[in-house]
Amino acid sequence: MATFNELGGKTRQSRVAVVAAGVISPLGHGLDETLASLRTSRDCVSPVTRFDVEKCRCQTAGQVSDERLVSGRRNGRKTDRLHRASHMMMAVFGQLFGKDPEFKPELTVVGTTSGGMSFGEDYYRALHRDRGLRHSPGWIANYPPQKPVIDAQNAFEISAPCQIIANACASGTNAIGHAFECVSSGKYQRVLTGGYDALSELVFVGFDSLQASTPEKCRPFDRDRSGMVLGEGAAILALENLEDARARDARILGEIIGYGISTDNHHLTQPDPSGSGPRRAMEQALHSAGRSAEEVNYINAHGTATPFNDAAEGKAIAELFGSIPVSSSKSMIGHSLGAAGAIEAVVCLLALQAQLLPPNINFRRPDQDLDLNIVANKSREAKIDIVLSNSFGFGGTNASILIQKLAA
Amino acid sequence: MSLRIAGMGWVTPLGRGADAVWNRLLLGEEALARPTSDPVSAKRYSAFRVPAEALTDLPPHPRLRRASAISRFAAAAGIDALGQARSTIGEIDAKRMALVFAVSNGGVIYTKRFYHNIVETGAQSASPLLFPETVFNAPASHLAAIFGITGTSYTLVGDGAVGVLAVKMASDLLENEAFDFCLVVGAEEADWLLCDAYHKWRLLKNEPPIELFCDPPRGMILSEGAGAVLLARQGREQIDAIDPGGNFSQRSEAKKIAGQVLRGLADEDACIVASANGTFVDLAEREAIEHELPGALVYSPKAALGESVGASAIWQVIVAAQSLRTKRLPLMLGWDAPQGLSFPESGETLHEKAIVLSCGLNQQVAGLRLRI
Repeated sequence: MATFNELGGKTRQSRVAVVAAGVISPLGHGLDETLASLRTSRDCVSPVTRFDVEKCRCQTAGQVSDERLVSGRRNGRKTDRLHRASHMMMAVFGQLFGKDPEFKPELTVVGTTSGGMSFGEDYYRALHRDRGLRHSPGWIANYPPQKPVIDAQNAFEISAPCQIIANACASGTNAIGHAFECVSSGKYQRVLTGGYDALSELVFVGFDSLQASTPEKCRPFDRDRSGMVLGEGAAILALENLEDARARDARILGEIIGYGISTDNHHLTQPDPSGSGPRRAMEQALHSAGRSAEEVNYINAHGTATPFNDAAEGKAIAELFGSIPVSSSKSMIGHSLGAAGAIEAVVCLLALQAQLLPPNINFRRPDQDLDLNIVANKSREAKIDIVLSNSFGFGGTNASILIQKLAA
Repeated sequence: MSLRIAGMGWVTPLGRGADAVWNRLLLGEEALARPTSDPVSAKRYSAFRVPAEALTDLPPHPRLRRASAISRFAAAAGIDALGQARSTIGEIDAKRMALVFAVSNGGVIYTKRFYHNIVETGAQSASPLLFPETVFNAPASHLAAIFGITGTSYTLVGDGAVGVLAVKMASDLLENEAFDFCLVVGAEEADWLLCDAYHKWRLLKNEPPIELFCDPPRGMILSEGAGAVLLARQGREQIDAIDPGGNFSQRSEAKKIAGQVLRGLADEDACIVASANGTFVDLAEREAIEHELPGALVYSPKAALGESVGASAIWQVIVAAQSLRTKRLPLMLGWDAPQGLSFPESGETLHEKAIVLSCGLNQQVAGLRLRI
């Protein structure tokens, strides 16, 4: 079967460097705090405070505190009425452009699943009560998924066209993958990419209704795993033609070398138990990079901790990669949906820089049906040159990216 | 690379079929707005709805059993686009086809029902059957299953300009020779809740007609349906330029970006298929056209079909392609003779090119150009 990625090196005109990144998640604000949390294997999941979860099975999530989000005015404009997703995006843009103010994107590709959903909820609740609707124009204007990205661009005087990818939980990795393809094709020199999502009641209750979320700890790949917890956050990466980046002496955090995407038509919300969808995405990422499975040193798994997802992904990883070290960052921060792939890409970049295997916390007992080498509970040092990051989502969408360390 | 339209599908309040809808537009017909209400409020609005008979021959695919209206519109448009393409360029290999799905509000009907249950009786009453259909990429997932697409599928979210951004993404994907086709679908479903939201945002009027290019603007009427174009390297109309444009933070800035887009696409032999819909968009487009392409023939289908948001730019692409194929443009409905713009009068046009200008309601502006 011919795929987008199958031509591999034949269609690659350019190598693709990551020259700057910004991240905000329950692990912390910025790369340093995030790395510190990875090193200490911190559990960032806590009781939900943003809305009432009394009638839900699951009552915890990985949450970003509002205290440190940007407020007041940005670029001369009021930001008080913006959605907190906009504040998160402005924060990660601030980190990124603080490190590389010269980066001028031609295109912005960002993933999300629900945009400013909580404003939609506020609006509907006010409508239902028939009061409090005076705020509704602000809620409506700030609800669309492209709004937080455009708000952040405006704050930094960027007007690049925005492609907002909503491929469910794979959105962030799909966005990075598509941005990678844009630069590697030679058509673009600089693309800003990433993902964001803010916790919302509708989505939280939705996963709870499916019994996909757990009242217990999130234990990816554990024999007793019982489901996911949700999370939130944002991450943004600056991708640039490697030659250009080197020519201007930009700091290079890593190189994206491969991308795979597949669609599994088995079911709207459940993966094919054979793991064929994830396997095709991972194979394509390897093929597009011209690398073998043996060359990959670590996998940041999708690892939601739901019985079906972990079984399908674990089977595909074991078949393709054997005993490679595997962990899921969702054990620490929950599943941040459209932001997950972008945050986990940043985790991979930090792993490459620090030569560190990020931990899969809350792990107690291996699943005998999954022959995996889990980085259990504690981060550990290791020599790693190439890492793979997976994201899979509703609708059968699967995405994998390969990132490599670049010699200084 | 030559990016061409190999097939089109169109599901609108004026019926279904690229030729059938076009012929009705050429006859000067406009869709009939129907009242829409909701138990949550006494307010009533009007919306242009897709007639039920437009979807009666959808295949009995299991994915469509519980699917929302938006998915059914998209499936019908996609089936028609592939059918038309097969009749002109032959068999379509799904393994060599990507899918790009453009949407703005998504599955709002199921989303409202799902959240209403939570508000009314609590989280314990939330339906696990409804929730998956609320996800933006549910319609694309259904289409991929129906058409056997197992590779690349993207759902793009944005405002009325998202369809142009989807065509741009398809153009980038088709740079890779591993793909022969990209099915670009734009779809939207109308609901009272959307009408209420746009009304509170002062963009919607209660009843037709939609009056285009009025100053001050008098408001739009929401619409629903889908448009699909199968893009390939073979086909009749070529998309020879795409400008993904930019974003405006204040409505007054829309004119500037629309002007930049038009300047890049300008061709003296082109007519303009505009996105004017009775809102501030009209004034932005009018000033940009007057400044950049004065005298160009301008047509907007939205007085006849309404504002279908995520589907609207693909509808404009279909209008542009049909105008080049048939050498005709429908008479412009709903305008009040603003100075500086030229509207089709006789119906006949000799243009070899058509510019699609799309100015969305939520900050995005983009455009593209077709030639035959």
